Amino acid sequence: MTDVISVQGLVKRFRSVVAVHELSFDVQSGTVTGFLGPNGAGKTTTLRALLGLVNATSGTATVFGQTYRELQNPSRRIGAALEASGFHPGRKAIDHLKVAAIAAGIPKARAGAALVEVGMEPAADRRVGGFSLGMRQRLALAGALLGQPEVLVLDEPANGLDPEGIHWMRGFLRSYADQGGTVLISSHVLSEVAQTVDHVVIVAGGRLVASSTLAELTDRTSGGAVRLRSEQAGPLRDALVARGAAATLADGDADAVVVTGSEAKDVGRMVADTGVPVFEMTTDGSNLEDVFLQLTASEAGQP
Amino acid sequence: MIALVRAEVLKLRTTRVFFGLCAAVAAFAVLGVVAGILTAGNSGSPPLGSAASARNIFGTGGTAGIFTLILGILAVTGEFRHGTITQSFLVAPRRSRVVVAKLIAILVAGVGVGVLGSVVTVAVAWPWLAAKDVSVSLFSSDIGAVTLLGIVAAAVFGVIGVGVGALVRNQVAAIVGALVWEFVLESILVGVVPSVGKWLPGAAARGLTRETLQNGSLLPAWGAALVLVAYCLVFSLAGAQLLMRRDVT
Repeated sequence: MTDVISVQGLVKRFRSVVAVHELSFDVQSGTVTGFLGPNGAGKTTTLRALLGLVNATSGTATVFGQTYRELQNPSRRIGAALEASGFHPGRKAIDHLKVAAIAAGIPKARAGAALVEVGMEPAADRRVGGFSLGMRQRLALAGALLGQPEVLVLDEPANGLDPEGIHWMRGFLRSYADQGGTVLISSHVLSEVAQTVDHVVIVAGGRLVASSTLAELTDRTSGGAVRLRSEQAGPLRDALVARGAAATLADGDADAVVVTGSEAKDVGRMVADTGVPVFEMTTDGSNLEDVFLQLTASEAGQP
Repeated sequence: MIALVRAEVLKLRTTRVFFGLCAAVAAFAVLGVVAGILTAGNSGSPPLGSAASARNIFGTGGTAGIFTLILGILAVTGEFRHGTITQSFLVAPRRSRVVVAKLIAILVAGVGVGVLGSVVTVAVAWPWLAAKDVSVSLFSSDIGAVTLLGIVAAAVFGVIGVGVGALVRNQVAAIVGALVWEFVLESILVGVVPSVGKWLPGAAARGLTRETLQNGSLLPAWGAALVLVAYCLVFSLAGAQLLMRRDVT
């Protein structure tokens, strides 16, 4: 696997504010990478530096080993949807795309085709001023797709989408990735993209706090609790403690026992060993959102 | 490069602003002719049939300049206001090409708007003057030159507008600033210090068109043309220089 996008030691200072500090990460070909962090973490600045819109104070950000400005006809290689507001309100959706297509030397027919790909063809001849945020997001995505690029960079594409729209976006990105496309998608809500991404790059306060596969991140959540429910909660707790498990009775539920620090399969084995009947067993642990909040909170708290 | 110019022209054609400005140019051309003909011979204005009067009437195509100035300003500031500059620079990350394409497109549009103003002017003035039995040959050197130079002024002011827009970036500030400059500050300067005033863009444009031979305080046409070209270069180069390095956030 090769790195399609490479950010190395990126620093961006706006006057006295350091928006991005020594940020490094790579995006490998054929993966969907979630670029996550709270609002103001420097995600948009990083993406704009990658795309040659913002000049880095130091460090580099490259696509296919070149800076974006060095790319020949970038629209055919990397499509970007950066913000939902980048439209002239008096221009029709189809014209917005035609302007970009003509400028990029892409056949004008792609404008209509891209609208179809994002399910917006009924609104082709409407002025963008009347569009909802969700429609603008789709139109921005259509703009990114114009040149049929192999890489997509999407900044908060799920913002303003209704649940149906988010569902659609997930499906769209999955099929794009299945066809070999590479995606870098930013979000401030992990759960929005957790079902879609393979890798996560988490930033807070302009710094990198985690860069790993989603699976590795999920592993950090293990060690979470296993929750058992039984008609004999007290004896179950005692039997488990006798076998060395950290078991306690749960607050507010007379039937529940919570076991921490043990893997679910071990807890299951111990329960069978005790012979106490159990009518429910769940794992509380894998809450990605908690891990995400933990990771970003520690950095965000810094000045 | 040609693709980028075509894209810029399409940007103009796909919003209503451009057509609104065209309508305004046509309306002001009609007004200019009406005012020119009705005031001729009154309170010091040269009488109908004189060369100076013909210049006043036919030179009104030059008012197109104020609208092409606004067109140029809108073409740049609109991109910042609506955030479309992001798309423009994503498609063509070598920004100088976008700026040059925009200048060419506005130059072409400026010529078009200037032609529109001149055509309307001639279409209204000529039959009217003919009905008043004022003989005016459209091909007399003065009227031909005045009409042509009015078109040039319109194109020139479009380019200056692009430069101003790139320098100021805030749409309202740029337009208000340009209008206040043109109608207030420059008028004051021209009135108070004519030796300086005649070098200013608006006065140079009038030197180019309307009052070429009539008023000693204006530059001669060739001098005015050079001054206007210099303004074009200064504003567009300064504006382009700023756009080239600016962070687009």
